[in-house]
Amino acid sequence: MEERIKRIYVPMTESGFYILYCLQEPQHGYGISRQVKEMTGGEVTISAGTMYGALSKMEKDGLIRLHGEEDKRKLYQLTESGKEVLSAETARIERLFRNSRGEYLNEKNSD
Amino acid sequence: MRRTVTKVFTIADFEEEEIWLREQHKKGWKLTGMTPPCFYRFESCEPEDVIYRLDFGSDDRPNDYMQMLSDFGWEHFADCLGWSYFRKPASETVTEEEGEIFSDDESRAEQVTKVMRSRLLPVVLLFFCTVLPNFMRMLDGEYIGFWGKVYSGFFSIVFALDVFLIVYCTAKLKKIRSRYKD
Repeated sequence: MEERIKRIYVPMTESGFYILYCLQEPQHGYGISRQVKEMTGGEVTISAGTMYGALSKMEKDGLIRLHGEEDKRKLYQLTESGKEVLSAETARIERLFRNSRGEYLNEKNSD
Repeated sequence: MRRTVTKVFTIADFEEEEIWLREQHKKGWKLTGMTPPCFYRFESCEPEDVIYRLDFGSDDRPNDYMQMLSDFGWEHFADCLGWSYFRKPASETVTEEEGEIFSDDESRAEQVTKVMRSRLLPVVLLFFCTVLPNFMRMLDGEYIGFWGKVYSGFFSIVFALDVFLIVYCTAKLKKIRSRYKD
């Protein structure tokens, strides 16, 4: 993964993360938005124009690519570089999660 | 029933325009279209809380942009001088983002920059190329006689209006943009 891309995208916004997560399977903007809404119990919603802008930017940066078109809707899917960014971000969040639960301290105490 | 309302909103007043249109719809008047520069055509309707959004420069956007907005429940019903008019019933929105076309600050700031570049800049250029030189000529007393006076009066008004508009719009657009940019 390019350093530049990594610097821009890791860490990323919550909506950015969900967009990449959803694009492990081919999907269009509105489909992503519905899926994210469902996954987060309606707490994370992404506006139409913001979704459009995010997808265009991610495509330009090579994180996702056009998979096809359905009516006038573009279907996108993760590229290899997108997968790398997603797993780097996942690793970061996992570490954050472990530390937020004090696992680092627990391990230290049991030594 | 139909009616046409004359109301002036400058290029920097799009947020006020959105609120005004929403109020009209609540009172039972839905916007059907615009006649440039400042005539709003309404049609009577059931009073409803409908969110209005103005998007600048959507005409330059590809088809899939309009498709995406329509997927998200935005009805595109009019265009006027580079602005596209969208609306969506407030009852279809739960979160704040669902009532916005753009929910990230970067896109919002970008929209304001676009308005400044393609709307404000030409007005400023026009001011320096035609309005200001004419005004200077007038001050030099080049326009004489009755028609000269008429012309001078007319130009003074244009000059004052132009200065006011440029200062007002620049200050306001910058203020809006600074809300979204640190």
